[in-house]
Amino acid sequence: MIVAEQKPLEEIKELVGEAQKVLVVGCGTCVTVCFAGGDREAQILASSLRMSSKLDDHPQDVTDLTVQRQCEWEYLDPIGEDIQKSDIVVSLGCGIGVQAIAERFPETWVVPGLNTTFLGLPTEQGVWSERCAACGDCLLGLTGGICPIARCSKSLLNGPCGGSEEGHCEIDPDTDCAWQLIYDRLDSLGKLEMLMKLQPPKNWSTSRDGGPRKIIREDLQLAEEETTN
Amino acid sequence: MTENQTPSTEYQIVAYCCEHCAYAAADLAGSLRMQYPPEVKVVEVPCTGKLDPLMVLHALEDGADGIMAAG
Amino acid sequence: MTEEAQKTLVGSNLEHVLQNGTFAVTGELGPPQSADGNVIREKLNLLKSYVDAVNITDNQTAIVRMSSIGAGTILVEEGMEPVIQMTCRDRNRLAIQSDLLGAYALGMRNVLCLSGDHQDFGNHPTAKNVFDIDSIQMVKMVADMRDKGLFQCGDEFKGQKPCFLIGAAAAPFADPIKFRPYRLGKKVNAGADFIQTQLVYDIEAFEEYMDKVRELGLHEQTSILAGVGPLKSPGMARYMKKNVPGILVPDKIIDRMSEAGKPWSDIKKEDRTKEDKKARSQAWRKEGIQICVDLIKELQKIEGVAGVHIMAIEWEEAVKPIVEGAGLHPRPEMKTPVL
Repeated sequence: MIVAEQKPLEEIKELVGEAQKVLVVGCGTCVTVCFAGGDREAQILASSLRMSSKLDDHPQDVTDLTVQRQCEWEYLDPIGEDIQKSDIVVSLGCGIGVQAIAERFPETWVVPGLNTTFLGLPTEQGVWSERCAACGDCLLGLTGGICPIARCSKSLLNGPCGGSEEGHCEIDPDTDCAWQLIYDRLDSLGKLEMLMKLQPPKNWSTSRDGGPRKIIREDLQLAEEETTN
Repeated sequence: MTENQTPSTEYQIVAYCCEHCAYAAADLAGSLRMQYPPEVKVVEVPCTGKLDPLMVLHALEDGADGIMAAG
Repeated sequence: MTEEAQKTLVGSNLEHVLQNGTFAVTGELGPPQSADGNVIREKLNLLKSYVDAVNITDNQTAIVRMSSIGAGTILVEEGMEPVIQMTCRDRNRLAIQSDLLGAYALGMRNVLCLSGDHQDFGNHPTAKNVFDIDSIQMVKMVADMRDKGLFQCGDEFKGQKPCFLIGAAAAPFADPIKFRPYRLGKKVNAGADFIQTQLVYDIEAFEEYMDKVRELGLHEQTSILAGVGPLKSPGMARYMKKNVPGILVPDKIIDRMSEAGKPWSDIKKEDRTKEDKKARSQAWRKEGIQICVDLIKELQKIEGVAGVHIMAIEWEEAVKPIVEGAGLHPRPEMKTPVL
């Protein structure tokens, strides 16, 4: 899932500024399950902004709404009227949600209420860890299902570096050394010989380095007459 | 909203009380005709574990000066 | 690549020393956090004639310093041979290749390929790192430039190839320790001509590592220079043991350091004068140098160790007594590359 964290209230207030009619829009997907931008967080933020603005002697009309998915226009359209009536929208979606609103409602000023942090999973109650860097050329098949791009601090393909100690990365004792994990996993599966192969430099053109990415599936695209309907 | 209400000279307290203990105690106090200030508004909750930040925020927004969780 | 090919290709002093089978000595010089070239010249004077080549660190510990190639140019001017350290942290494959073309043109002939300390350690922790390629891929890239005349993309060179003696680092005691000799093997297969190891204080552990290295035949394909460095105090020894990944410091070495400062350490802290502290520090440093000398003598006995790499950063004065004490002075006459 996409994992995010809410921005500090002060920063959100600064982004909202003097706007009179504020709409906080939550998202019911990834950021709901990581407790950053779901319905509950949207209500809490709206309430906090209302009270805070009142304390600042500039009461703002803050309401909230949550859609199932901010990253698809079909889910945004039903709240289009609410969005257009607002002076500003605070999106509690990930960065995609913010942009989806901005793109769909060009007349509306939209600001982010979250910092989108990474693609990851909850590893225990209240703990989320990064797992994928969306590099566009998955090499998990070479590394026993553990991603060195996302999880090695230096994204080494022929690790581990000399900073691996007792299973953790030299940058932080709370960070696992991805290459120790890879080594242990390949060892336990009897596949250590896979590590002997020299992995060549990665083709980063499939990653963000190749510029903004787009996938076009012609088999799924609608014919022109269908799109106009 | 508070601006529509008569301003209180006293603090307004919302007491979220667990139905199994604190609320039952308040009930008993009532039947014993014990007095407590009218500014304390008792709200029965199934458990104080159910007390959500939103409930607190809504009470504060609606003019409460303080919140009591009793359970 | 054959030794014959290397001989004709590189022509660096370090290569010359290693090929003659002389026990090699390399030193290390950390460029200043300023644009003052005289700092390099001053430090260089402390190393000159005691080492065969000098590593120039590349923004070591991710702290901005004069560039390794810039400082290396000063070394070349002064008739000293640099080993240019090059990290993957600050440069992508374009920058590494172009910098190496420039370094070669400026007379540099040795390069040490490193992944580089993470920027989190340094003075610009908010920087974006690069890590386009890793150190092993860099070794291969530099070897292909030299031996095949190819850029990393596969395009052929026109004109002068950058012919470097290619070095790589090894961390014999970092985790997973069993994998370390094999990872060294990967570096050797990628084309590393020489290896400089992390600091060695635990000779027994290093002997075990070298047993495996010899079993894999790696010592015959590359020249292994064991890393050594003088300790300044027992505190430094304890700190490294506890906090620096991949460094083992046996208790007997920490005890030797403590023992050396005992006459002053025994004085009650409140009675210890400035002079006492100075005397204790000197005694510690003297012992640190002696330990270093003793370690080198032990390392010389290990089959497959082709030399030592002395890391005495910010204490370059120690190199002279270490090299002399270990009987490694005078060094073979400096053979400067034909420019």
